[in-house]
Amino acid sequence: MITLKDITKTYFLGETKVPILQGIDLQIEASEYVSIMGASGSGKSTLMNIMGCLDRPTTGHYYLEGRELTTLHKNELAYIRNQQIGFVFQQFNLLPRATALENVMLPMVYAGVPKAERLQRAEAALAHVGLGDRLTNRPNQLSGGQQQRVAIARALVNQPAILLADEPTGALDTHTSQEVMNMFHELNEQQITVIIITHETEVAEQTKRRIHIQDGQIVD
Amino acid sequence: MTLTFKRSSPDTLPQQGISRLEIASMALDALWSNKLRSSLTMLGVIIGIGSVISLTSIGQGIQKSTEDSIRSLGTDVLQVMAGAAESGGISQGQGSVTTLTWEDAQAIAAQAPSATIVSAYLQQRAQVVYGENNTSTTVYGTDLAYPEARNTFPESGRFFTEEELTVAESVVVIAPTVQKNLFPNNLDPIGETIRIQGEIYNIIGVMEEKGSQGPQARDDAVYIPLTSMSARIIGNNSLMGVAVNGIYVKGANENQLETVQFQVENILRLRHGITSPDEDDFRVTNQADILETLSTILGLLTTLIVAIAAISLVVGGIGIANIMLVSVVERTREIGIRKALGATEEDILSQFLTESIVISVLGGTVGIVVGIGITFVSATAFGFPFIVSTTAIAIGVGLSTSVGLVAGVIPARNAAQLDPIIALRSD
Repeated sequence: MITLKDITKTYFLGETKVPILQGIDLQIEASEYVSIMGASGSGKSTLMNIMGCLDRPTTGHYYLEGRELTTLHKNELAYIRNQQIGFVFQQFNLLPRATALENVMLPMVYAGVPKAERLQRAEAALAHVGLGDRLTNRPNQLSGGQQQRVAIARALVNQPAILLADEPTGALDTHTSQEVMNMFHELNEQQITVIIITHETEVAEQTKRRIHIQDGQIVD
Repeated sequence: MTLTFKRSSPDTLPQQGISRLEIASMALDALWSNKLRSSLTMLGVIIGIGSVISLTSIGQGIQKSTEDSIRSLGTDVLQVMAGAAESGGISQGQGSVTTLTWEDAQAIAAQAPSATIVSAYLQQRAQVVYGENNTSTTVYGTDLAYPEARNTFPESGRFFTEEELTVAESVVVIAPTVQKNLFPNNLDPIGETIRIQGEIYNIIGVMEEKGSQGPQARDDAVYIPLTSMSARIIGNNSLMGVAVNGIYVKGANENQLETVQFQVENILRLRHGITSPDEDDFRVTNQADILETLSTILGLLTTLIVAIAAISLVVGGIGIANIMLVSVVERTREIGIRKALGATEEDILSQFLTESIVISVLGGTVGIVVGIGITFVSATAFGFPFIVSTTAIAIGVGLSTSVGLVAGVIPARNAAQLDPIIALRSD
């Protein structure tokens, strides 16, 4: 499903080269349940940004379902983000002025889904994450766990192949974290590829495959 | 291995994407959620468009009213004024001496083939008394051709007759303002007597109302026979005959005026023994020329004022650009989220551009309404015609749209080009 070949990423701070990723080779199959672990500064977030088509590698090749992505036009990358990838962030990243329903509908707005279908699918997605009675609440009227569930509903609403989660439990207490993790287990059982970026061992231990990154390289 | 990022064209994209309508509704949402800021920003455009519309319309109204009142004086009329006397090298002003005479007027009437109506007049301000009421007004001593020459006729009663003119009868025709001042109780003035400089005159007619613009307010005047004026009120005559202040000469139509002017000047020079135009002791003015000059001046003034008003529109545009720049910075995270969820740069660009255009077009629409309102109120208050020029409205709509577009370009481009990774991390 995902094939990374010799991916490097180098930032240039003036004249100084700062290598972040130094030759990543990685293969993730469909419906895998993977965690990517590493200390802060290890390059795991950069790797996630590249896999999520938010960033481009400096060199190397990225194949998603056999298709080379590194040379695509930015609008095509936007389309892939919209259709194939669902994002879950540490800080939830919901639009503060929009209701839960409007937040979940947003990916479908950019996909051009007709309004009636949008509404129906967003309601179903929110009901699926147990927020069927919170449709018109704004993010500040929801608890952290509820906000993260809205974000998961939003990530899933366009039926992506991959769910990319960047420290999804980082802003949550232990109990809520476990609820969110249980949700990921469930989704993976439904054959969705789940990739979790984390520095917490308790989180990583719940996934089926653990990848460790150190100084921009996979160490195991 | 080094990769060159060849940007392929997005031809694999589906045709279906976000609709314009969807973007417009997002823009409205964003503006609505910040009502105070949006309306204050709009205020700049409202003031700008409002002043452009109202000043253009007021300018056109005043111009039309001025032209109408000049035209009502007759644009087919020449006015011959007695020249300036020099006393010890100091000019005493036009008409200060009586180099023109009634005989000059009669000569013009007899000898200028293109002149159809010729009327001479004397004028002087005087106190006019009826019973306990009195008013200061201009007394005109005129001949029989005066009503036709000035396009002003008695509304009731009559003008004086040839016989009354010949024998210097004490009869007077009064104009509406004088009637109002002397007869406040709606008494019919005809048949009453008034005193002009102590002498008794019989009122035989009241002139029609002509509107009171211009240097010669014809509604505040009384008319008596030229002979009576000359003999009893002015009491000083030129050696050449009955002195007059001016002569009106009418041609058959406006196109004849140049010919008439040429004939009048030649007749007068012959009669006054003048060989060079530099020595003219009279001056001929032409209402059509005055009209043209005044129209040009008023048109220029209107343009100038509207140009100044347009500056406030520019300031309004800068206000929009400013607020949009702030808004883009404030919403950096929102932009990042939208991009992560699949918004393209074009989507973000249109969203912010639409916001800016909506502010400015809404402001422009309100501004047009406000401008029309101001025009209506001023037209009613100051009594000039209420004209709303469709050109002004079209310009208003066009200007507000382009102000929004221009003001929004840079902020919207900034938003569209934000790096989603950085945008997502911002607070």
